[in-house]
Amino acid sequence: MKPLDPDHSWKRLTAAARCAPVETVTAAPYGFATRIAALALAADYSGRSLFERFAFRAVGVASLLAIASVCVNFSALTAEADDETIVVGDDPVTLLLGPIE
Amino acid sequence: MPDEEPSFDVAGCLVRVRQRDQAAARELVDHLYPLVIRIVRSHLPRRVAEEDLTQDIFLKMFTRLDQYQGAVPLSHWVSRIAVTTCIDQLRAQKRRPEFRWADLSENQAEVLDAVMTSENDVAANDALAAHELVHKLLDQLKPDDRMVIQLLDMEQKTIAEICNLTGWNTSLVKVRAFRARRKLRKLFLDLQNKEHA
Repeated sequence: MKPLDPDHSWKRLTAAARCAPVETVTAAPYGFATRIAALALAADYSGRSLFERFAFRAVGVASLLAIASVCVNFSALTAEADDETIVVGDDPVTLLLGPIE
Repeated sequence: MPDEEPSFDVAGCLVRVRQRDQAAARELVDHLYPLVIRIVRSHLPRRVAEEDLTQDIFLKMFTRLDQYQGAVPLSHWVSRIAVTTCIDQLRAQKRRPEFRWADLSENQAEVLDAVMTSENDVAANDALAAHELVHKLLDQLKPDDRMVIQLLDMEQKTIAEICNLTGWNTSLVKVRAFRARRKLRKLFLDLQNKEHA
């Protein structure tokens, strides 16, 4: 027999294939949704909790400590800044150049 | 489409899933399962378990759920994830089996002979053999080309629908379809030559 055009053959083959019965069962197997939900949320949680524990909390605590230490020592810091003699006396350049003069 | 079911509140369910509600996550999986399994069954690569691939798709969906803004229906967004996951699986299978007459079943050989040499319609009871034959021929194509030709010829999607599903542009889809058809034409001609040799 004379062979037909390949494109035509393909069209007829796919047309026949489209008539094949499709599997009608489309409900999830028993336990599938539970497994997926548990896996998905567990994976998400472990990633987040690690970050929360070691990053967000640490940043919060560090910020609070920094603010608290500034507040507690504010008066001492400002008093020290106003006292020029202490600053000059502690200045290493003054200490070094003092004996030359 | 699942989104068109009036009984299921997609937006409400998504809110609950984002609040880490396991029951809502289960409802979402049950709701989307028919859509996903249809895509998986159509594009399932050789030696890949249907359930494993479906699980991968759902896990990918949950991982990316924060990226879903609701600009498109959820079913479209999930379909794209399913199709691209199937393409990735097809790409992972580097070796493609050779297509030979000798490997065909009696029914498949009859169907192939009928479509290549006769104008008569393939018998209705040979539809399953035709379906298997199509998949054997599609296995010969590159994964991306295979996806395009399957969506075009088996699922009868339009170019625009394929673009939406795959994220490829129109020209790329057309080029892939052209390349796939050329390869299929060559396959048919080789088979005809072998049969008449």
